[in-house]
Amino acid sequence: MTIPEHQTPELRRKNLRLALALAGLAIFFLVTSFPFWSGLFKLVGNQAGQ
Amino acid sequence: MHPYHTYNKPPYRQRPKTAAVPNSRWRHVLLITLLMLMGLFALPPAKAEYGINFPQPAAGVAQEIYDIHMLTMTIATILLVIVFAIVFYSLYFHRKSRGYVADQNFHNSWFGHWSWVIVPVLVLGVDLTIAGKADAVLKEVWEVPKEENIMDIKVTGHQWWWEFDYLDHDIKVESRFVPKEESGDLYLREVDNRLVLPTGIKIRFLHTSADVLHAFWVPELAVKKDAIPGYVTETWAELTREGVFRGQCAELCGTWHSRMPIVVESVSPQKFAAWVDDKKQVKLAAAAEASADKTWSLDELYTKGKTLYETKCAPCHQVTGMGLPPAFPALNGSKIATGPLEGHLNIVLNGKQGTAMQPWNALNDLEIAAIVTYERNSWDNKTGDAVQPADVKKAR
Amino acid sequence: MTTTTMTHDEAHHHETPKGWRRWLFSTNHKDIGTLYLTFALIMLFLGGASAMLIRLELFQPGIQLLDPDLYNNLVTNHALIMIFGAVMPAAAGLANWMIPMMIGAPDMALPRMNNLSFWILPAAATMLVLSFIVPFFPGGGTQINTGWTLYPPLSIQVGMSMDFLIFAIHLLGISSVLASINIIVTLLNMRAPGMTLLKMPMFCWTWLVTAFLLILVVPVLAGGVTMLLFDRHFGTSFFDAAGGGDPVLFQHLFWFFGHPEVYILLLPSIGVLSHVIPAFSRKPLFGYNSMVGAMIAVATIGMVVWAHHQYTIGMSLGAVTYFMIGTILISIPVGLMVFNFIATMWRGSMTFETPMLFAVAIILMFTFGGLSGVMLAVVPADMQYQDSMFVVAHFHYVLMPGAVFGLFAGVFYWLPKWTGHMYDEKLGKLFFWINVIGFNITFFPQHFLGLAGMPRRIVDYNVMFTEFNVISSIGAMIFGLSHLLLLYIIIKTIRGGKKAESRAWEGAKGLEWELDSPPAFHTWTVAPQIK
Repeated sequence: MTIPEHQTPELRRKNLRLALALAGLAIFFLVTSFPFWSGLFKLVGNQAGQ
Repeated sequence: MHPYHTYNKPPYRQRPKTAAVPNSRWRHVLLITLLMLMGLFALPPAKAEYGINFPQPAAGVAQEIYDIHMLTMTIATILLVIVFAIVFYSLYFHRKSRGYVADQNFHNSWFGHWSWVIVPVLVLGVDLTIAGKADAVLKEVWEVPKEENIMDIKVTGHQWWWEFDYLDHDIKVESRFVPKEESGDLYLREVDNRLVLPTGIKIRFLHTSADVLHAFWVPELAVKKDAIPGYVTETWAELTREGVFRGQCAELCGTWHSRMPIVVESVSPQKFAAWVDDKKQVKLAAAAEASADKTWSLDELYTKGKTLYETKCAPCHQVTGMGLPPAFPALNGSKIATGPLEGHLNIVLNGKQGTAMQPWNALNDLEIAAIVTYERNSWDNKTGDAVQPADVKKAR
Repeated sequence: MTTTTMTHDEAHHHETPKGWRRWLFSTNHKDIGTLYLTFALIMLFLGGASAMLIRLELFQPGIQLLDPDLYNNLVTNHALIMIFGAVMPAAAGLANWMIPMMIGAPDMALPRMNNLSFWILPAAATMLVLSFIVPFFPGGGTQINTGWTLYPPLSIQVGMSMDFLIFAIHLLGISSVLASINIIVTLLNMRAPGMTLLKMPMFCWTWLVTAFLLILVVPVLAGGVTMLLFDRHFGTSFFDAAGGGDPVLFQHLFWFFGHPEVYILLLPSIGVLSHVIPAFSRKPLFGYNSMVGAMIAVATIGMVVWAHHQYTIGMSLGAVTYFMIGTILISIPVGLMVFNFIATMWRGSMTFETPMLFAVAIILMFTFGGLSGVMLAVVPADMQYQDSMFVVAHFHYVLMPGAVFGLFAGVFYWLPKWTGHMYDEKLGKLFFWINVIGFNITFFPQHFLGLAGMPRRIVDYNVMFTEFNVISSIGAMIFGLSHLLLLYIIIKTIRGGKKAESRAWEGAKGLEWELDSPPAFHTWTVAPQIK
């Protein structure tokens, strides 16, 4: 089975839309893990060492 | 197609039922329960030969920690017994083989409707009991008391030895593991130079690291803290009894993580004062020797260097000079140890970035000169150089 | 009904997939599920072999078998292989097999991405194994002696095998994020008409939460190891104190992933239990709604308590107090889950087939591991427990019952459905008892070792720790070898055995039991109507 023909074109579009949104979320977390998380953890980290 | 409705005699029920089967099953259940509970109940009267609980605390904070450990363990044991009791009751009575018919409406009783509130509230009660007690102890353990006459010990972790600086007394102690031949049964729990500490005075430990992460852990003193390069972390303790307390590095720090024991010798303040005096004398004598304006012979340097090499360098580069490639290169026949002296002094004094080779510039000129001389004249290295303290001074 | 479905589908696909093409190009959720499970089983044996080598070395004081770096390398690989190679793919395998059948969908929502997310795994596993063996070749650099936490600066010192490992982690991460996206889309868009979210089988719920957790935390780990890679090769100093960086930052990034990861491993097995226990108690799951709520609470709180893995780094009093209380509070939803399981058994009509035996063992042993977890959460006491063998004992008591036994229960429960044959019940029970007893002999004594002062991850120890290490190692051999029996049972079941009915278990409920055993290649091409 190559094309998931059990899916109507409408369902297929819906699936792809949701998948792309989730992928976007994952990439957002990946990208922000550099500056944003760095900043947040530095904040916690600065309290470290007292 | 689907024998759903007529399906009431599945194959797995067809084996002949004898009394022996449930019995043997119960023996196993009993065995495993005993195995698990036995250990828990055996905990409080700790056995001395092979410890099964924390050793007897030797500091105030350690005692507090011990008490809260026993409290949480007692609560955990009680909860465990309750859960086990309920489960085993159910396992015994609510069995199909006893003819018990499932109560299909159990989840519709008032209990079924409200348990999602009752259970969290009960658990929250237990949690708050633990957290409340823990919070009080935590404040005391965490905050180093602000006192005038607190004694500062800087603890520096190295791969793979400890450096203890008595900041108030200007004394440095280097502490390394002792090979099995000399330490016997205390192997991996014995060091060449102990961390000597007085009782009855608050001691602040300042932890840092020269290379990778380490962690200072002596169970009798209780407080464990990571040594992190670029950080200084604090812990404190006040020793309450004399004795020798042994611990180990607790954070994975590479190849010889297992060979970083810590031995604390807790002594009376008088004995400690005498020890400090003694150390100062030794240090003065060494300094005088190093700065003496004297030209050292190859033999003198070689003998001195051999001892130093075998304590400080051999853990990585090995007594044979063959190292443990690729992590620790061989010195025997190496380009650096047989090449120009400047390069050799440079790597010893400044270390090498990105490797386990650290700067050794805390050693005095004579010590460096002796080590370098030894390395350039041992094994197959035959440069004939007798490196003088003055050369080292210039290279710094 | 299913027979007609088959002819209908075969009319569409002129060639039935055969030979290697069937597997390599597969977009069928059942085949991909089988691939995932087979892969996980292979990795289970790899990870298990490394664990047995570790325990053999620790059998006696002294260094007998492994040099210290090889020991640390095995410790690292054991953890990574078990977590990323065995448990996560096995859970994904169960998800692939069961989710479409449970929600009445013909397949996963994105079948070709499903194929991709599996076939990245063998590549990642190759990289992982290479990271282990590369140092044995000339010029291969030093071995990975950091443990799976990969803390810098130690991980900066390691040779090129660390780079293999970093790329292996990237691949594993991509694979699990893709699989998660697929599962979420399937669960949200492909449910049979009438199946509202709160009618969804509990296994699907656990995977929905797990998949969201994966999407949120795996990219952060990927970010962390990428920074590590840059520090190693491109002169940045994210984690190098000498260059103005912060070695502790990596620990935060790692555990921001690493703590939710524990729940990622745990939740699918909780889902399996939510099917096994009602089936063998012949009584519906107690507290479906509170189970869903508890799970979401665990996932949410679990994301904000990561620093309890690093109590000893010297955080401020305020920070540790927050992390301590947060961690202790996790016991509320987890306690509720365990309670719901016990209440499901309560006044049921229980029988004890292998899946149920595992389920009962999980309830008891997971409670035990959870309680030692509460002890560890208490910061002052953790000053003692941290990085000792007590921690090793604790997390094996949580993950082995919580994750691995749950997967075993699931495999035994659904094996008749997958293969169409009943497994050998006698052998199944034998495996259970050897396995569980072996496990307890291995890990129970480690609590004592930790309390007595033995740090974790040491290759050699003082004679005072000998007794319990001997017991633990003997247990580990029993435990490790018992999995050969598992392999035998599975192969035997695949090859034959008593024919399984569609509803293989008397008390089993759910759409998957309406299908034949084994189910047709394509199922639910016509969605069932849920009332």
